[in-house]
This record gives sequence, C-alpha cells and structure tokens, in this order.
Amino acid sequence: MATLLVALVAGAVLFGIGLYGALSQTNLVMIMMGVELMLGAAMVNLVAFWRFLHPAAYSGQMFVLIVMTVMALEMAVGFGVGTARFRSRGSVEMEEAEDLKG
Amino acid sequence: MAQAFFTGFFGLAAIWFGVVVFRTSSMVRSALALLFSQAAIGAMFLAMQTEFLGVLQIMMMATEMAIMAIFMVMYMMDPGGLGGMDMTHQKRLSIAAGIFGGAAAVAVSLLGGWGTVGPSTMPEAQVAALGEELLGRSMLVFETAGITILTAMIAATAVAIERRR
Repeated sequence: MATLLVALVAGAVLFGIGLYGALSQTNLVMIMMGVELMLGAAMVNLVAFWRFLHPAAYSGQMFVLIVMTVMALEMAVGFGVGTARFRSRGSVEMEEAEDLKG
Repeated sequence: MAQAFFTGFFGLAAIWFGVVVFRTSSMVRSALALLFSQAAIGAMFLAMQTEFLGVLQIMMMATEMAIMAIFMVMYMMDPGGLGGMDMTHQKRLSIAAGIFGGAAAVAVSLLGGWGTVGPSTMPEAQVAALGEELLGRSMLVFETAGITILTAMIAATAVAIERRR
C-alpha cells in the first residue's frame, strides 16, 4: 500500500507542476512540455492502479499505451502547427497569436 | 519496502526535473530536464514491476525529447537562454492553479479508500498477457491508435508544408 500512495502522490505533484507550466508559459513548445508532464502524471497513476489494485486486468496497461499514443500525437500536431506559425509569423510565442481566436 | 523506496526516489527525481523544466531560461536545458523527468517516470514503472511499459517509456521519451530539443533550437532566437528572457504570463493564476490542482490530487490520493493490494505477476507472464490483450480483446483499440497516429502524421506534415503559390 505504501508504494501505491508514494506513486499516487508523485503523480499528483507532477500534475500540479505540469498544470502550472501549461498555464504560465507563452512559448508553444514550453506549453507542450507542461502538457507532457501532466500526461506523464496520468501514466504514473494508471500504472500504479493497474499494478497494485487490478494486476490481472491488462486493459490497465492498454490505457497507458493509449496515453503514450496521445503524447506522440500531441507532439506531431503541435510541431506541425508550430512550424506553420513560424513560417507565417516568424515566432511561436502564443501572446502574439491572438489572431488564432475564432 | 525497497519497492516503495525506489518508487519514491525516482518519483522525487521526476518532480525535481519537472520543476527544472520551468526554472531554467535555456530551452535546451528545459528539453533535457523533461527528458530526465520522463525517464525517471519510466524508472518508476520499472520499480513498480511494469518492465515492458518502463522500457517503452524510456525509449519513446528519449526520442521524443531529442526531437523537441531540435525544434526548440530551430524556433528560438536564443535557445541557450543567454539573454535571460522571461517567457511567462499570468504567473499568480498559474501558481494558484498548479498548487490547487496538485493539492486536490494529493488529497484524493491520501484520503481515497483504495482497497487491498493485489499480488504481483512475473515480468515474462506480464508481457505474454499484454500481447494477448493487444492482439485479442483490445485489438480494435490498438489498431485505432495506429491509424490515428498515421492520420496525425499526415495532417501535421500537410499543415507544416509550405504552400505553393
């Protein structure tokens, strides 16, 4: 039980740091780094829940694989948008991206 | 006890490097700190006897963060952070949201009734069972994830490519 709690608390703190980063940064890549930390925290919790509470249900590990996929997708799409933005405006600063509002 | 120690040790390392990501003004150091944070998360998986996912996490994140560092150098005027430029906004709100979100999650972790801890499984049995899960019951989910990655790759390339006039 101690390891489960240690993992859950570490995941919770990582989530808080990621949330701070995603909200406070103005650079697109730094915002993505905050999101990656939050997804990492989610993975820690998923692995801890699978290992300590439901070790026989392997769909828990499937969820972790899906989160890893989401991380890769976020990187691919984020850098695609970042490259398009850099080509057109010469910057990936999100404070200068008010024209993206609908 | 050793498992709790190593999980906690790598958890602290992940948290420390996670903090460093937003404390340094060098973009390259930020990317490397995130790499170490994600690698520490992979080491936590290993400490929790989830060998396959631990190795996968370390391998994937090493590649991902190396690519991220390259993009940072490409996009930034000052990737080494020598100018000490501040790239943050709404600091108070962000700190409050981070502390509130983290504290709420810690409270749920500590106060939740999680029931009894199940028995451990051997690593080789885990990999075999995960393989059967991937190619059996969860095959549709697995295949959908693959197709989604392919679609995102094509879409990201199409968005990023220079338009011909």
